[in-house]
Amino acid sequence: MPEVKVTTRRKSTAKKESKPSVDTTRIAVVGIPASGKTTYFRFLSGHFGLNLPILYIPARADNGSLPLFGDLENDVALEETTYETTDPTDPEGSLETTTRYYVNRPMEDRRKLWVELSAGRDEQGILTKYPLPTKFNQFVEMKMRFRYAAPEGESGSRPMELSTVDEAGGIIADYFTYDRLWLDSAEGEVSEKTCRVIPHFDSWRPDRRDLWKRGLTLLGRFVCGADAIILLLSPGLPSLRDQAQQVNLARGVFRYTHARNLPLVIAISKADKLKEFYGEVEQSVRERTFRSSFDPVDFLLRRDGAGMGTILVAQEGRGISTKSDVFLISSAVSTGEGHPLFIGETGDEAPSAGSVTMGVPVMVNTTLPLARACERILERRATKES
Amino acid sequence: MQTEAESAPPLPSRERNVLLLDLSKSMLAPLPDPQGGGPERQKIEVARTAVFRILQDSAQTGNLFGLVTFTETVRVPVPLGEIHRENLPYIENLISLLAPSGRSAIWDALGVGADLLRMGTNGVQGNLVLVTDGWDNASTRFETRGEPNGKASEGKVDLTPYILPAHSRVTLRIIGIGSGDERDKGVDAAHMNQLVGQLTQRAVELGLPPAFSFQMVSTGSQLFAQMVNAFLDVGYEDDRPIEELHPEELAHHAANAARALKEPQQHATVSRIKNAQAAGRSAGADSYSEAPEIEVDFLASGPGGPPAYLKERYGPLGEVVEAYLAGHYDHALELIQKTQGFLPSVTRLYWEARIQYARRAVVEAARALLQAWTEAEKLPANTQAPILRRLAVLQARMQNDKETETLVRFIDETEHHLANRDPKTRERLMDLFAKLMELRGTYQLTRLAGEGDLQDAALKHEAAVEEVFSLLQDARLDLSTEGASVEGALDFIEICLAEMR
Repeated sequence: MPEVKVTTRRKSTAKKESKPSVDTTRIAVVGIPASGKTTYFRFLSGHFGLNLPILYIPARADNGSLPLFGDLENDVALEETTYETTDPTDPEGSLETTTRYYVNRPMEDRRKLWVELSAGRDEQGILTKYPLPTKFNQFVEMKMRFRYAAPEGESGSRPMELSTVDEAGGIIADYFTYDRLWLDSAEGEVSEKTCRVIPHFDSWRPDRRDLWKRGLTLLGRFVCGADAIILLLSPGLPSLRDQAQQVNLARGVFRYTHARNLPLVIAISKADKLKEFYGEVEQSVRERTFRSSFDPVDFLLRRDGAGMGTILVAQEGRGISTKSDVFLISSAVSTGEGHPLFIGETGDEAPSAGSVTMGVPVMVNTTLPLARACERILERRATKES
Repeated sequence: MQTEAESAPPLPSRERNVLLLDLSKSMLAPLPDPQGGGPERQKIEVARTAVFRILQDSAQTGNLFGLVTFTETVRVPVPLGEIHRENLPYIENLISLLAPSGRSAIWDALGVGADLLRMGTNGVQGNLVLVTDGWDNASTRFETRGEPNGKASEGKVDLTPYILPAHSRVTLRIIGIGSGDERDKGVDAAHMNQLVGQLTQRAVELGLPPAFSFQMVSTGSQLFAQMVNAFLDVGYEDDRPIEELHPEELAHHAANAARALKEPQQHATVSRIKNAQAAGRSAGADSYSEAPEIEVDFLASGPGGPPAYLKERYGPLGEVVEAYLAGHYDHALELIQKTQGFLPSVTRLYWEARIQYARRAVVEAARALLQAWTEAEKLPANTQAPILRRLAVLQARMQNDKETETLVRFIDETEHHLANRDPKTRERLMDLFAKLMELRGTYQLTRLAGEGDLQDAALKHEAAVEEVFSLLQDARLDLSTEGASVEGALDFIEICLAEMR
């Protein structure tokens, strides 16, 4: 049985195990808290040959073959660095970092500990949130390395990196919402003074303020060098404050990508929450030739899904197309009661109760936004070169 | 070479008010007050109450205030200056000790009042209010002359050019108590009218706006109403102050308010409210109105019940409000109907509407409110905006329009909270509210535009939203230390902006 291990390595001995190429293409994933960033990364890691059996519904017309695969030249597929204040009650708020690596095969160096994604699903267990209480005293930098086939490229693929600051949807929302925070260079730093543009910032505890400032700086630096952005939008936010936060973030991301002429792809996450669409997913499970007719553009523009109607219309012609840059995704279609929907070999729903659950989780279009972002980066490059 | 305009001292940025109060012995006499039904009050008592009220207003608005009292001697108990809230008890105590005695040196008092407002080559700058019940019988320095070029008494100065030198910008309001047909029975109406006439004529000659009036009052209520030309309102029973709201409740309020902006057809009242600054600008900086300014005050109802001493603080209007808050609507209606003639029409009609609404007499309430809107339109721009908002809240209540009520209440409460703040902060926030209101137009176009024009309309709306958001960010950075009221207002605007999508 493969070993599944978790590493804890302190900042003082930090040394990159991964081998990012200098000309790595970088794509930033952004979204408000609970928009699905963690799940998006985890399940994409699964997609890259990391032994997570999954079923994509509805498949693309080209039989679902997308030229996305794990970075085989690099042992580390996913890297997570946790930044945390050691003692939330300590007003000095000293900060420590911990890095964990998700790898494709067992590592020889036993002194380092790894989360091995090549483990079978049973051994691997369900990857959930981080072991410490989060939100206020930590955030996690996530980097996933993969390759996208460039049809005309000499090597057939290019090194790519997907990044986000996880457990930090609030930081992301603030950064994009308030353009006074934006950094102009990868060495820039968000100052305490400009942080005051964030509502009530001065009333926060000092350690939280410091952590937030660091998170904003980290995010600012990596989006400064990003080649494309994927914006995750959640369609089912019960809280008005969350809805307002999401709309402000979206407006900020549009402003940001427009000002820097960056490709932008929108992923409507948690698509299983759209009841109408979910009905079509069920039909797809029963009838594999069925193609969903759910129209995300119609949903967003005419039925004001996620409150994006007017904003999206305004962006048409300013760098995005609602027809080709907006996708529905769901990392784990639910049975409706919080349990993942599994289908068995026959294509029928597998029983989720009982001793052993057989079947594969049903997912929707999870890889499409990433593939589209890669396509758009390559299109952009091709246009520049010509 | 310097021109005169370049060498002149700067004009005042804040309002400068000087009250000239008669303390001659006759001020101890009672004034009839048939409306109140209670014991008659001495003229000096009514005047003192009004002075307290004026002082409170000055402390709130930051305007400069000075008090001149006169018997045969002229004194300056409160020199012209800013009234600080912490000093109010001392000043009020001082005023309570002012005891009438002796004769009246009215012209000398006017001369001293003008001196307090004098600003070098800019002449006299500010507002004079004279309250007197008598005839001048003790002035030694000044006099008024029967004719413009009339003969001067020995050693006395002609008051008219002294009050109104070139480049001045002065108003004079004379409130005369009692009928002055007979000497010592009331104000010297003939001389007062003569003075107003001479000042008006001189103003015309100098090309200055004429702003001088004489008004006689014969009851305590009338005296109070003339001294404190007030519009008073109190909160509703179910009001909750904005600062007590949970953030999620605040978000719900803001989302509700945004609906009033997004659906103008269903929320027509919103189009009637105006921003004070915007209204002031459109009226022009040099506009002049003969209509007296109205003091607007809003008393939020607190957990301890109705505010205390309403009658003492606000005179007859306070008495109406007291009866209303006690649930004695019929009595309140009776009282408000007796105020015709001395309360500003807009105040009287508003309260009539509010009382009728409380009595469930909806038709009468709507009729009175409609008349109040008409009266409000006649008011000077700077006092109009807060009154229009109070009318809008009542109208929204009557129409069960929660969205409009929430929006207007928030703007109103914010302005109220900011009353003691730096005027620039206040203006900046109210400007943001005004810009938020303007988004109604661009948003509406995105709903009305045809397929082809939709993108253009959406682009314009998004650009307008971005512009307001940019101003909001600057305000956040500049006003980060201004406290909860400012933060709350900015949060509200931010959520409304997110809702305008």
